[in-house]
Amino acid sequence: MKDLKNPILEMTRRRFLSATASIGSVAALSAAGMSTVGLQGALAAEPEKPKEIIVRAWGGSWVDSLKAGVSDSFTKLTGIAVRHDLTEDNEIQPKVWAAVAQKRVPPIHVNWDTTTNATKSALRGVTEDLSDLSNLATVTDLAKPVGLDGYPIVNTYGYVYVLAYRPSAFPDGPPTSWKALLDPKFKGRIALYNDGIGFHFPAQVAGGGKVEDIPGNMQPAWDFITKVKDQRPLLGEDPDFTNWFQNGEIDLACTISTNAREAKKNGVDIKWVVPEEGAKFETDGLWIPKGLPENELYWAKQYINHALTRDAQQVWLDGLGLPGVVPGLTPPADLVGDPSYPTTPEDFKHLIRVSNKIQVENESAWFGKFKAIMQS
Amino acid sequence: MTAAKTGLDRLAVEKPVGSTAVSVRNVNMVFGDYRAVDDASFDLEEGKFLTILGPSGSGKTTLLRMIAGFQAPTSGEIAINGIPVGQVPPNKRSIGMVFQKLALFPHMTAAQNVAFPLKMRRFDARTIPSRVAKYLELVKLGGFANRRIHELSGGQQQRVAIARALVFEPDLLLLDEPLAALDRKLREEMQLEFRRIQRELGVSTINVTHDQREALVVSDEIIVMDKGRIQQNAKPSATYRQPSNSFVAGFIGVTNFLSGLVTDVTDSDVAFVAGTQPLFGRWVSTNVRLKAGQTVKGAVRAEQIRVAATPDRLDDLQTTVAGTVMDVIFEGERVVYEVRLPSLQDATIRVFDHDPSQHAEFEAGARVFVGWNARDVLIFAE
Amino acid sequence: MRAYPLTWRLLDVLEAGVAKVFPRRLAGATPYLMLAPAVLLVGLLVLGLFQIADGSLRTLDTTTFLMSESYSLDNFRRALTEPLFRNVALKSFTGSLIVTAITLMLALPYAYVMVRTKSAALRKILLIALFLPFFIGQVVRAYGWLIILGNQGLVNETLSFLGIGPFRLIYNYPAVLFGLIQYMLPFAVLMLAPALTAIPEETEAAAESLGANWIQTFIHVVLPMARPGFVGAGLVVMTLSLTDFAIPAILGGGSQDFIANAIYDQFFRTSDQGLGATLALLLVAAGSTLVALVFALVGTGTLGMGRAKQ
Repeated sequence: MKDLKNPILEMTRRRFLSATASIGSVAALSAAGMSTVGLQGALAAEPEKPKEIIVRAWGGSWVDSLKAGVSDSFTKLTGIAVRHDLTEDNEIQPKVWAAVAQKRVPPIHVNWDTTTNATKSALRGVTEDLSDLSNLATVTDLAKPVGLDGYPIVNTYGYVYVLAYRPSAFPDGPPTSWKALLDPKFKGRIALYNDGIGFHFPAQVAGGGKVEDIPGNMQPAWDFITKVKDQRPLLGEDPDFTNWFQNGEIDLACTISTNAREAKKNGVDIKWVVPEEGAKFETDGLWIPKGLPENELYWAKQYINHALTRDAQQVWLDGLGLPGVVPGLTPPADLVGDPSYPTTPEDFKHLIRVSNKIQVENESAWFGKFKAIMQS
Repeated sequence: MTAAKTGLDRLAVEKPVGSTAVSVRNVNMVFGDYRAVDDASFDLEEGKFLTILGPSGSGKTTLLRMIAGFQAPTSGEIAINGIPVGQVPPNKRSIGMVFQKLALFPHMTAAQNVAFPLKMRRFDARTIPSRVAKYLELVKLGGFANRRIHELSGGQQQRVAIARALVFEPDLLLLDEPLAALDRKLREEMQLEFRRIQRELGVSTINVTHDQREALVVSDEIIVMDKGRIQQNAKPSATYRQPSNSFVAGFIGVTNFLSGLVTDVTDSDVAFVAGTQPLFGRWVSTNVRLKAGQTVKGAVRAEQIRVAATPDRLDDLQTTVAGTVMDVIFEGERVVYEVRLPSLQDATIRVFDHDPSQHAEFEAGARVFVGWNARDVLIFAE
Repeated sequence: MRAYPLTWRLLDVLEAGVAKVFPRRLAGATPYLMLAPAVLLVGLLVLGLFQIADGSLRTLDTTTFLMSESYSLDNFRRALTEPLFRNVALKSFTGSLIVTAITLMLALPYAYVMVRTKSAALRKILLIALFLPFFIGQVVRAYGWLIILGNQGLVNETLSFLGIGPFRLIYNYPAVLFGLIQYMLPFAVLMLAPALTAIPEETEAAAESLGANWIQTFIHVVLPMARPGFVGAGLVVMTLSLTDFAIPAILGGGSQDFIANAIYDQFFRTSDQGLGATLALLLVAAGSTLVALVFALVGTGTLGMGRAKQ
């Protein structure tokens, strides 16, 4: 159900690219002593440690990666156990909102969330400000939530909604366009997210429209989605894509590269491309709900600070196969030069990004429209 | 339907008098190692009312269900109007049945219940309403046609069940203890009602009951059953007066059994001693020889014994015995005394006094004399 | 006194104690006292409904993600006019009607054989087959069907031996209906069985002796007499399938949403609790109307109140 994936960075593509370029140049300087910054510095006057902190996470390879990269090393450093709560992101949200509204202690310490979802919580005012995290000094601009005051959320990595395909179904070479979804031979063998997330923007381009027209005129997107509907797509959530590829149900899907990579790790021949129309780029982040006792808030912040160290990011994001927010990370061997692991300005040229403000304000309507087409 | 199904006046289309309506030949019903019906054979004459009487578990209901076709006999043959019905399912037999719990259809009105067999048996639809009305009239429910079953009293429900079983003019009417659940007054009323309707229509009827009084009141013939076997098949008066064995004697009426040893036998008279008391009785089953020294039971009915304060009031009776009143039961039209007889090894007998106002009413503990005639003592070999 | 068993005296003491706390003249209140927990539960439910009703009148502000302070009927306008909700509602209602009809048709022979069979072994087998799925649960069962009916599942594998297929047997409307029918069958059988048990075998025998064959007996006697069971079973199956969530979600492949799925989306996917509350309220209203309609037309069946008529 990890399906609300929208970038928070409210910036034009050009501004973003110049920002990442400048960060890249300082990366080499700060890389050396960075991993211990923050935690070590805080030891002097640290408040009472709780027995454990609770981190909400997505299941499967997602939580495994987080545990290996962030949680285990955090426990080793601090002695505080980390419990992972696998309640879905969209189900924990109303619980946290209710807890804050009723001035109760929230059910989790740290929420691993999509940036769009997190932005809703930030707008609602249920998030703690994270501006004082020491490691924020060394992260790329990708980590900063744009359009919000301070750091109510810290973005921790980005990802791409790719067109994943089964090579055996494409003997003449990989698909180059999202229009491959309309090929009659794939009728009933394609899949999208059940609210269409990740697909609205490339559909706008594939339908002959412009990214600049979002949200004013999205008719090209709806027309294209209507044609895709006649192809009888399966509609699901993250784990479904992996299952469907493994069980031979589908040949083609719009999904986060991580899910396709997971099926590939399980021995299914799956590849993915960023088609000529482009693909949507998103971020996920970490945030802390309001209402925690002072000492627990401190250690929850330390957890996020730790997640921003290079060592933690390297292991965590190796597992996810996604580009992080700390300079100097080594990409996993299988993803070097992969379009789903953007590192260079050239990589980002092919990715579609839309202001998170527009997304948060309109996604209900988009989801509704997408559902209306699919459920008719 | 056939010409026989035309009117109420069944007697007008009379079958030959004395023809056999039902014939049961050597019928057995065995469940596992339990023999529910053991070699039953009897004939029912056309137009007669036969009652199968017996205690529960005697096999009477099983026998009836076999005639109705709900169960197939293990062996033996059942014929209705001379035609064997072994392979004929219940709905193809021309049998009307009134069930123990009536089995009326609660979702239908009285008239719809009565019309049901006519519709199922494809009677001419135009004749159905008049036929239903006629039969509701017959059971005195003329004004209740459109009542739902639960709106009728117990007695009225009985009548609907009878009308429903008879409306298609079956060859045979079966009654499976339909009166068992009624209170006594209603039961006795319905017994007479059954008798009246049966006579009016002349339909051959087999009734099953454990109520000996009902059997005596309504029947032309009574079959007494026990342990799956037919014990006696006779007219009601014969069943009462000449029971063929001690079971029948004991099942019908209130009977005192006096056990003793035979001292002397003639063709029809028996002398025997019970305790220290010499007694005399009538020997009925002449096909078995009795010998002196044999153990017998003498059966004497409670109403054939008289009780008096002194023996001289009983000197018209052949046997007089002294005893003590143990209990007095006042039943209105009669008084029942339980009297202990020391000379008969303290046997306790029951005595009816049908006209207590003419006699002294004795109290418990009173010393009395009881007496009877030798011809009222029926002797059965043990 | 000494002859009394100890337990008698114990009970006497208890009774005297109870009499002090709860005097005899209050005995008339006892039934109401026993009703209290149920009333409390229903009361909480009604309280929740009021909260939902309040929520349904507030719209979501997407700049703060808070519900509006003021009331409006906007959510109702959206729920009643937007094609998405019309489609989903149509799909749910049609689906629940089809599921109810087929489930009752399948449940009747099953319940009848289970109730009437003379074989204790057969009855036991039927009962076990009925209850086993209860212990498995809806979600696991639905996933089981995914495995059996999937492209590489048992059925398609078997078909491929015969040289045909594979066929898309899941992720469509018929698959959802199939899953619901399979899920509802035990409920229907359990609701029908008592109604069939209440029909005396003697009544069926009577119909037979009056000239009806078994088909006629079934149509004219068993079916009408089992009507309370049909009404009860039908209502339970209809309301349960109308409001089902898991089966459409799992077997529908995302494109066969029922109303509950649409409600879930509003609460948990778009964070629009107002619209979610509105949809929930409309579902409650529609379901209650349906039930009231059935009650008015054919009576309350085995769900009924008052003493059963003979």
